[in-house]
Amino acid sequence: MESRIIAIGGNGVNYVEVGNDKPLVFIGGPCAIESEKHTMFMAEKIAEICSDLCINWIFKSCYDKDCRSSKDSFHGVGIIEGLKILSKVREEFKIPVVSDFSDPNWAQQTGAVCDLVQIPAYLCRQTSILKAAALTEKPIHLKKGQFMSPWNMKNSVRKLESFGCNQVILTDRGTFFGYNQLVNDMTSLPIMRKIGYPVCFDATHSIQLPTSMGNISGGQREFIPFLVRAACACGVNAIFMEVHDNPKKALSDSNTVLGLKYLKQILLEAIEIHNLRIKLTTKNGEFNVHTD
Amino acid sequence: MENSMSTQIEEIYVKDVMMNCDSFPVVNDRELLRETIIEMCNYGLGIACIVNEKKQLKGVFTDGDIRRLILKVQKPIAALFVDDVKDYCTKIYSSITPDTSLKSAILLMEKLNIWDLPVVDNENNLKGLLHLHPALKKLLGI
Repeated sequence: MESRIIAIGGNGVNYVEVGNDKPLVFIGGPCAIESEKHTMFMAEKIAEICSDLCINWIFKSCYDKDCRSSKDSFHGVGIIEGLKILSKVREEFKIPVVSDFSDPNWAQQTGAVCDLVQIPAYLCRQTSILKAAALTEKPIHLKKGQFMSPWNMKNSVRKLESFGCNQVILTDRGTFFGYNQLVNDMTSLPIMRKIGYPVCFDATHSIQLPTSMGNISGGQREFIPFLVRAACACGVNAIFMEVHDNPKKALSDSNTVLGLKYLKQILLEAIEIHNLRIKLTTKNGEFNVHTD
Repeated sequence: MENSMSTQIEEIYVKDVMMNCDSFPVVNDRELLRETIIEMCNYGLGIACIVNEKKQLKGVFTDGDIRRLILKVQKPIAALFVDDVKDYCTKIYSSITPDTSLKSAILLMEKLNIWDLPVVDNENNLKGLLHLHPALKKLLGI
């Protein structure tokens, strides 16, 4: 199953292609922009790892966390400060950056700085958000809502296409399994890939236990490496992980973010499995079993 | 009387009795399966002609395809509904041109045990649909 190849970056930063049999891409960074100092520190550390592994990387961090369980949780540094910091990361490390937006009015500013524009999972079917994202004319990182079936993501994709966007990455971040729990269904990856766009697996949100701790979310981080390996074997074009040097002190998603010290090994395994998967499936394809 | 009717049949062509493209379901090959079935219900016909952006015929999707699909498919109906119709339509199909005689068209339908035949020109552009009922009405003069 061929999918479009999505081109991200260029224009002064690393040019990254996502899709088909291209090398695995990493999308990641701290969940929230906590400060300029911390963001630059994280970017530097992740850049070293990605450089060592020769993996293309898109830096992800958000300026506004509008979906926290509690009103008292960290809400973000705001769009002006956040985009200024992302712009600095972009210029200093020459890498593409991505951030999400939860208000249609923020889309243009976000797209003016970011090489990839992200639509939050909870908002993945909101027409106003999809339209605003498409109008940025940037590639779009569209996350599958935890409440959505993978096949129904086609409806959101068709909305984006109707607004002129045909540069989309579809990401699975787990699916609600009753209350306060997610399940990771790997069949969602080939199902979404059949829509015709590259797919990505979000490993750190997939192990989340949404709002399981009353007014904050929990998570079972110990499963991150297992799910990454499974997703890469299944077939993805990118892996998404939120990373923090000190998860316990992370201002957002402290129970799910991956400790920085584990990133290199997990990415190494992901790359190896991705390359093997391509080698094994290129000749015969993957979608030709039991289609008769 | 028999001779007269026989002569009459020879002089009737598909273009004289075919349904125009706005009288039967014509859907784009990227249309969702559910929307295609709705179109078939709207027109009350057991066939939809599947065309590309240039209105060239790419396949047909019939009541029979739906029956076979329901017996075969294992995925949830919600997933099936959002698949593209092109994934399930019959891509190897018979068609006729507007200048085909009605008699040979009906003989073809008899041979294939079908009662609808898409009508295309030499570039495979969809021009209409031959449906057995209007053809019979024409022949019977009703």
